[in-house]
Amino acid sequence: MADKGDNNVERMDNENIKPDKMFTLKKWNAVAMWSWDVECDTCAICRVQVMDACLRCQAESKRDFYGKQDCVVVWGECNHSFHYCCMSLWVKQNNRCPLCQQEWSIQRMGK
Amino acid sequence: MSTPARRRLMRDFKRLQEDPPTGVSGAPTDNNIMIWNAVIFGPHDTPFEDGTFKLTIEFTEEYPNKPPTVRFVSHMFHPNVYADGGICLDILQNRWSPTYDVSAILTSIQSLLSDPNPNSPANSMAAQLYKENRREYEKRVKACVEQSFID
Repeated sequence: MADKGDNNVERMDNENIKPDKMFTLKKWNAVAMWSWDVECDTCAICRVQVMDACLRCQAESKRDFYGKQDCVVVWGECNHSFHYCCMSLWVKQNNRCPLCQQEWSIQRMGK
Repeated sequence: MSTPARRRLMRDFKRLQEDPPTGVSGAPTDNNIMIWNAVIFGPHDTPFEDGTFKLTIEFTEEYPNKPPTVRFVSHMFHPNVYADGGICLDILQNRWSPTYDVSAILTSIQSLLSDPNPNSPANSMAAQLYKENRREYEKRVKACVEQSFID
């Protein structure tokens, strides 16, 4: 009885010592995140992403000569960005940035 | 027909449902997205507490470049609310910004209930009591809280 018990213990110890791999890497999926290189990626006036056409242009499905929607982004000196269409309507009545109330002056335009 | 103002209001409604601010609610009327009904619950620790104040919001096709007309339907006793329910609030007039949406409008009005501005009164009696006789002011406000359950 005693011998049998000792053997059992010994066998179990041997199994534990065996350098078993804990896991094998079978598949590796790399994930990348990206966002547009702008401070605010949504136009705060129409609430559409600045890189997409504004609500007005979407409604009118206005297109330029190349058949692409021609709705550019405008950045102010304050670094806030909006759709040019949305902003040009707003500055007609109040020449201030709708987000920070600073005097609005265009820093750059484009996509 | 879907216009930019209507599309913007659809977005406002979606945002209001997905991220509802506490103590306010609103929805367009059944057949006209340009007219909304809203409710503002009286903020805690103010005499307006427990009140359910109903409002209407009317938008024009110039929204969001022009603010909507917001009016209390429930009877109000507040220094900045006119007898006809009209609201004297800078962001609904000269301080309007096209970045505001329905959610921002309703939360601004809610905070106006907590912090009246007695220096630009729309209801001079309410403004005077607010400044000089706070107990009487609170009594009059509590009366319109009770009234708000009925109307």
